[in-house]
Amino acid sequence: MSKIVTLEYPLKELKAPEEYRGLPYIDPHKCIGCGACRNACPSDAVMKIDDIKNGIRKIILDVGRCIRCGRCEEVCPTGAIKLTTIFEAASKSRENHIEIIELKLLRCSRCGRYSEFTERQVMFALDILPREALEVEALDKRIWLCRDCRRETALSEAVDKEWKWYYGKLVKSTWE
Amino acid sequence: MREDVEVSQVKSIIERFKDKILDVKKVQDNQWILITDRDSLRPIVTYIMQSEKFKEAHIATMVGTDERPLRGKMSVTFWINTLTDSMNVFIGVRTYLEEDNLEYDSVSKDVPGANWYEREIYDMLGVVPRGHPDLRRLILPDDWPDNVYPLRKDFKYTESPVSYPNYSFTYTEERSSCAIVPLGPYHVSLDEPAHFKLYVRGEEIVGCDYKGFYSHRGVEKIAESRLTYEQVNFIAERICGICGYTHSTAYCQAIERISKIEVPERAEYIRTLLLEIERIHSHLLWLGVASHLVGFESGFMDAWRIRERIMWLAERLTGNRKTYGMNVIGGVRRDLLDYRKDLVTKTVKELKKEYKEFVDRLTSIKSFIRRCEGIGVLKYDKARAYGVLGPTGRGSGRNIDVRRDHSYAAYKDVDFKVPVYKEGDVLSRALTRIDEVFESIWIIEQVLDSIPGGDVIAEYTEIPQYEEGLGYTEAPRGENVHYVMTGEKNMVYRFRVRAPTYANLQAVPEMLKGYTVADAPLIIASIDPCYSCTERVTIIDVRDCKTMTLDEYEFNMLSVKASKRWF
Repeated sequence: MSKIVTLEYPLKELKAPEEYRGLPYIDPHKCIGCGACRNACPSDAVMKIDDIKNGIRKIILDVGRCIRCGRCEEVCPTGAIKLTTIFEAASKSRENHIEIIELKLLRCSRCGRYSEFTERQVMFALDILPREALEVEALDKRIWLCRDCRRETALSEAVDKEWKWYYGKLVKSTWE
Repeated sequence: MREDVEVSQVKSIIERFKDKILDVKKVQDNQWILITDRDSLRPIVTYIMQSEKFKEAHIATMVGTDERPLRGKMSVTFWINTLTDSMNVFIGVRTYLEEDNLEYDSVSKDVPGANWYEREIYDMLGVVPRGHPDLRRLILPDDWPDNVYPLRKDFKYTESPVSYPNYSFTYTEERSSCAIVPLGPYHVSLDEPAHFKLYVRGEEIVGCDYKGFYSHRGVEKIAESRLTYEQVNFIAERICGICGYTHSTAYCQAIERISKIEVPERAEYIRTLLLEIERIHSHLLWLGVASHLVGFESGFMDAWRIRERIMWLAERLTGNRKTYGMNVIGGVRRDLLDYRKDLVTKTVKELKKEYKEFVDRLTSIKSFIRRCEGIGVLKYDKARAYGVLGPTGRGSGRNIDVRRDHSYAAYKDVDFKVPVYKEGDVLSRALTRIDEVFESIWIIEQVLDSIPGGDVIAEYTEIPQYEEGLGYTEAPRGENVHYVMTGEKNMVYRFRVRAPTYANLQAVPEMLKGYTVADAPLIIASIDPCYSCTERVTIIDVRDCKTMTLDEYEFNMLSVKASKRWF
């Protein structure tokens, strides 16, 4: 009964155990901007905003909304978002709770417009695709295009081939 | 009607009401729905609640659903938990109401426990219980406009209409002869705001009126409009700041039942372990608060010191002091690794010793016993009529415990007693909780001994559309019921949460009558209400318009001083 149980926190630093799920942090070098964390987050702590005009995607993490469930960590394909063991979130400024990652959107090499995915997403896809299983040339040609251009090139190539009669109808109904 | 129904409860109801029952549906193993017309709803519900055939019966939850997009009608369902010697089932009595006539006969006159449920659907859906004794708003804020019903499907969750405040408290008949003591909205002893108006004559409380739901956050509406099945789970566990794990378990169970997901045994054991850890820390918290309110400060410190160990343990097991973020549909996210198992064993061993010492000290203090004995008595009849649950119900002699009656998780494999006391006063509620902690420790020991190996999470592919089911757990405060109706596009169609305090709080006015203002904090705290605290009390004497304001300290000191007479 005589033992002192009061901790000297905050005068002495207190460390949470390694199992603890604390404030999340996005590693800007690893983040590819896919937005998986945004889809998984129950409390909308992560936002994904595309600026198609200037070709910038913002991933905005608001720790103030976070409920530390760690779903983002589970779904992140590159391990960029991690929950640290930091638990002290008090701050004089609300801005300290917000982390913004800016990523470049892919600029289509054919039409010059920005597409709805980032450069890093494409790089990541190239990384994980087994090269031997694919037609590398066709892939390299098409992967730097935006979605519309991909569709168009794929169709026109197909039309060039002898399946003209079939795709002709499809192209008509798609583009009219 | 259907002849193949074997369950005795359902059978006896069908036999009695024959052609009044339009359809019988078995939604889950122990869950039945009887569909009836609007006029027969009241007699059937009243019969089930008052029938001698059932050992115990209480309203488990009541759901009003806007099913207009599906079948052009709204539905009202009373889910009643009926217990007999042979079989325990949830019976849902349902009626459909057309949009142009949203009225049915209120059951609150016969079943006082239905009062809030009916006020809630009146408030949230615009369904009118005819002849309800006290038809006021329950949940929505005072300045919410009339004729806007947030749980209807045509209301968007982002809207927030505002008008002028129009809420009134009811006054008892002898308004002129008694003073009114408003208690809250910031409340005396525990969490979260709630507003009690005490009608006092001198020191004696003669009546009480309650207004709560100041922290209503619209979880149900968010779940129905914005979240996916997986996400609802994480919002569901934030319904409560103390017993969050029990909410997420109940939600997961509802979905698992509907989509027939087989949860791995190991996950069931881990859930049981964490549910009991939660019960221990919740009860220790309460014992601390109770000690504080009777002026036994070192007991308060001691209980919370012991509790802190459990919190640290939960932090190591789940990643959060509050056992948050552990459940997912189909199992749990973290395994009970060997070093964590050792940790539990060690902590529980220490806890057992320290807790026993603490309890011996607490129960040998005369002032604690005298302060609690005979205070806030709730007799068995009243307890059953109000459907009081958990330690509050068991303290009044109701032999109910969902862990035993509808066993879930790994409770069917472990052995435990359900402590029941008959007196119905604050002391018997305290003793029930004290005994339950010992039982919880015993359950944890058994779980550690017999936990099987294997996976901790099951994969699932599809959740069927428009199916219904109840998920239930025995939270530290009593039976906690989640109703889920699945919908399209990976989203819930209707989500209804009934936490145990919803039933227990309705009985508080009964408990307060006849006792003194100084007893009020202790009595209200004795049901362990789930709401919190920046406490301030104003005492107004209507006769000479004198107002005095007591802060938290002064008000609690009233309670502390009341126990000084035995020192």
